[in-house]
Amino acid sequence: MGLEYVRISPGFEKYMPKDYVDLVQFGPFGKQIDVQQLGQFKELVEEHPMCAGCFMAYFVRIFYASLPNPEDTIVIGTAGCARLALSQAAVPFIYGNYGDTNAVASGLKRALSIRFPDKVKDVVVIAGDGGLIDIGFGMTMHSWFRREKFTTIMVDNEVYGNTGGQESGMSPKGVQLKMAPKGKQFDKINAVELAKTAGCVYVAKLAPTNPKRIAKTVKRAILAARHFGPTFIHAYTSCNIEYSIPTEKVLEDARKREKQDFGFYEWMTDEVKEFFEEIERQKEEVKA
Amino acid sequence: MYYVADVKEKECAKYNCKQCVLFCPEPNTLMYHDSKHVAWVNYGRCKGCAICVYVCSDLLKRNCIEMVMVTAGD
Ligand SMILES: Cc1ncc(C[n+]2csc(CCOP(=O)(O)OP(=O)(O)O)c2C)c(N)n1
Ligand code: SF4
Ligand code: SF4
Ligand code: SF4
Ligand SMILES: [Mg+2]
Repeated sequence: MGLEYVRISPGFEKYMPKDYVDLVQFGPFGKQIDVQQLGQFKELVEEHPMCAGCFMAYFVRIFYASLPNPEDTIVIGTAGCARLALSQAAVPFIYGNYGDTNAVASGLKRALSIRFPDKVKDVVVIAGDGGLIDIGFGMTMHSWFRREKFTTIMVDNEVYGNTGGQESGMSPKGVQLKMAPKGKQFDKINAVELAKTAGCVYVAKLAPTNPKRIAKTVKRAILAARHFGPTFIHAYTSCNIEYSIPTEKVLEDARKREKQDFGFYEWMTDEVKEFFEEIERQKEEVKA
Repeated sequence: MYYVADVKEKECAKYNCKQCVLFCPEPNTLMYHDSKHVAWVNYGRCKGCAICVYVCSDLLKRNCIEMVMVTAGD
């Protein structure tokens, strides 16, 4: 896209749907929106059919409020719950076949840098634990081995939510699910360490308990991917349906899991660290 | 008939807070009034999860949001 695609041609304002007009007038395009401004601007993501109280939907909401350049971002998703909301946002969305997201993103990012050599176009994959670490495992790993410059975000609900509760490599050991009645026999895969080993330059793990921190992490992952190489965020995003969490206790569950096994973790190469330190220094200078 | 969240405006106005707005899973639903400094719900978009009630009552002990029953078309 680009800002020229967002703007409404003069004279057509009254024929456009209200939500679109609101988006152009009160949306985040071309502005630097802070996540704390939520509730006071028109958000990029629209109504969608994800379940009530779904914290994967919450993560998607915060993600769209965190993009450094929404008008020049392309999101890639696949089968799984997240795409139900990802596809309802005013940011171009590509539906990769299940398991193919990171191969599609690799080709897209390379093509964009040839087509728009002097523009920055951010590519972000958001897919489930099944899509990235089970069925898409090979393509996820190889995009990292090849040092492809885009961001991968795993929205980990520790189950195949969209297809009714099969266990995934990310389900915790011992957990009983509708279609894993004996309980899972193997450990949860350590995705963060795999990402580091495979060549990601920025890796983070979080539970969605702090919107400011999610926004900072998403921004960092996108900026590091622009300049240095593959980046990865492992986000716990509970499935209240398959894990039978009453909706009003979904945030309580996220806070509990944060204490247990999803404490905030951030790792980056020295080069990336220096890059962010330089940005912080420049910000301080502007303030001073 | 279904549940939606409803903010008690007078109560909420005491706090200059906004915390619930930052935790609602739905976009463009739990909004914040710029000048009145109160949260308000776009009822047509609310899915009734009550995460906002958890934030306001359980975490902050402010009790400014309640779930109310509405009928489609209200
Ligand atoms: C090639 C292919 N295989 C299988 C499926 C069926 N399928 C749709 S969603 C899904 C699982 C989704 O699990 P996950 O990726 O963890 O996403 P979630 O729904 O849990 O967010 C599967 C197996 C498919 N759509 N395409
Ligand atoms: S099935 Fe689970 S992950 Fe999917 S939308 Fe519903 S609560 Fe969210
Ligand atoms: S959490 Fe309660 S007090 Fe704070 S803005 Fe929301 S309704 Fe108002
Ligand atoms: S009940 Fe849920 S969807 Fe409705 S305003 Fe509260 S947090 Fe948002
Ligand atoms: Mg899943």
